[in-house]
Amino acid sequence: MLNTVSSKIKEVSKLKYKEKPFEYWGPTPDESRKIVVNKSHGLRDKRTTLKEAVAKYVKNGMNLGIGGFVNTRVPVAAVHEIIRKGVTDLTISMQSNSICTELLAGAMIVDPDRVSIKRVEMAWWGYEIIGIAPLFRYLTTNGIIEVDDYTNYGMSVRFKAAAMGIPFIPIRDHGGSDMELVNRGKMIECPFTKKNIYVVPACHPDLGIVNATASDMYGNARLFGALCTCPEIAMASNHTLLTTEQIIPTDSIRKYPNLTEIPYPAVDAVVEQPFASYPGACYGHYWFDMEHIKYFRSLGDEFRKTGNKEPLEKYYQEYVFGCETFDDYLDKIGYKTLKHLRKMDEGQPIII
Amino acid sequence: MPEYSDMEMIAYTGSRILEDEKIVFVGTGLPILAAMHAQLTHAPNLFMIYEAGSLAPLLDMGMPLSVGDTRAARKALFLKGLCAAFEMTQRGYSDYAFIGGAQIDMHGNICSTMEGPDYNKPSIRFPGSGGAGAMAANCERTIAIMALEKRRFVNQVDFLTSIGYGDGSPDYREKAGVMGSGPYRVITNQALFGFDEKTRRMMLLEVKPGLTAKDIQDKVSFELIIPPVLKEMAEPTEEDLRLLRDVIDKDGYFLKKKVQK
Repeated sequence: MLNTVSSKIKEVSKLKYKEKPFEYWGPTPDESRKIVVNKSHGLRDKRTTLKEAVAKYVKNGMNLGIGGFVNTRVPVAAVHEIIRKGVTDLTISMQSNSICTELLAGAMIVDPDRVSIKRVEMAWWGYEIIGIAPLFRYLTTNGIIEVDDYTNYGMSVRFKAAAMGIPFIPIRDHGGSDMELVNRGKMIECPFTKKNIYVVPACHPDLGIVNATASDMYGNARLFGALCTCPEIAMASNHTLLTTEQIIPTDSIRKYPNLTEIPYPAVDAVVEQPFASYPGACYGHYWFDMEHIKYFRSLGDEFRKTGNKEPLEKYYQEYVFGCETFDDYLDKIGYKTLKHLRKMDEGQPIII
Repeated sequence: MPEYSDMEMIAYTGSRILEDEKIVFVGTGLPILAAMHAQLTHAPNLFMIYEAGSLAPLLDMGMPLSVGDTRAARKALFLKGLCAAFEMTQRGYSDYAFIGGAQIDMHGNICSTMEGPDYNKPSIRFPGSGGAGAMAANCERTIAIMALEKRRFVNQVDFLTSIGYGDGSPDYREKAGVMGSGPYRVITNQALFGFDEKTRRMMLLEVKPGLTAKDIQDKVSFELIIPPVLKEMAEPTEEDLRLLRDVIDKDGYFLKKKVQK
């Protein structure tokens, strides 16, 4: 029996909050296990289009796990297609993101009947050097979405616990901070050391979206540069939609199996999509497009400051709804820009 | 002395604090500049860890613009993901957390989540903890960079994001289940602070040449511990400024930012 204890943090800050009984914001560990057990575990050619994969796996009210980190190897192509299809009552789970979550938030502002976010379990939502995320600020300060705050390790290790098939994991942070009060973790007494230790619940998304550097047609995926939390998200999710910068032969995967960061059973759909993280970066392929991110951010900022959503609407008409596929979007961005971003990566070394 | 900006003073002071043969867990911006400067001067065997997952990169493509920037992975010695970076930290291999925030109190507790009384409807919402909460918990020592303003050096933070010494009681961090020993330095453009060992309260250590303890106390909401002898902050030399301006932040991404009022 684990004893829930307190680190007695309540007098330190000015925070007011409501205590809420624990609830899962997505599949429970048992539900998730059942789905995984009942999948085919054979090698199947999983190549498909984003349109088909999103139509199959994206459902209203789902928990969507977003891979990458801030603007690195973020699954932007999948997000565009999810917006085109539409999804309501979304729970988002992630550590840190910029463009993916702001795109979903913007879609909600443009047409809440098509896309709506109910809540987000996360560590960080912003644009780093470029500035705060205006739409996140809008949604939170108006009380439109519910937030469950963790650290980057907290969210990462919640996916990791799910990936390990365990319901919670002890962790050496959150304790003594206000995250201890507001998030769904708990302080317990360690049954062995008898000291206080914080535990966080496993996070199983219904669908994980991840962009890989390379993958074979079965979903054996290689990731270069920082892994972020992509392997854990893929393993934690009931289903994983993998976009990949390129499809590589399984012979190559078998030659260097140590390089497989996501194994095929954890992947349900494989979509070859070059520049799938654009305007984010993908190590070994392209750097991020600061100008485009700044441009999109400025539209959100204008809405936040003036309430005028017309420029945002125009952006979505032009770049999301006005495109049948992500390739159509890349066409609008243009070869010269993409070529420049490829050059800015300076050919960081990857093994294909 | 040559002319220098607030940002340059902060980066230089940060560099000065970092010791050789240590690992510093860096946040975006000035911490990276400070660590790069230290590597180029007195601490060639100091290494950086980035939360997206890289340890000891060689930043020969230039300064990463964020901790997730693919350039932060350049020629690293070890490159995994967030779990690996934070687990090395929990294990005890990260000597310094180098973080920022919106508010700090006398015990070094930092807010970077929100302002306002109500968590469910904040008056200002910041991006969130990111890695900072975990870094402040489990790196051995925490170094914070803050702008020296009354509204930032507060009696009580609105939301405690990154743990300091809590309410100041001796066993606060132990009860919180965290591993690091806690706040070590707070760097501003006008003063350098440490913490009193007995009371775990913020203590003025050094002031910018020309300023007095009162000048600093006037910009802080809580009462500072002021030692009888106050040192002056060292100022960057021509060579330090050349490194910062021409080698480290060539495009002025961070150095040309003003301290926000």
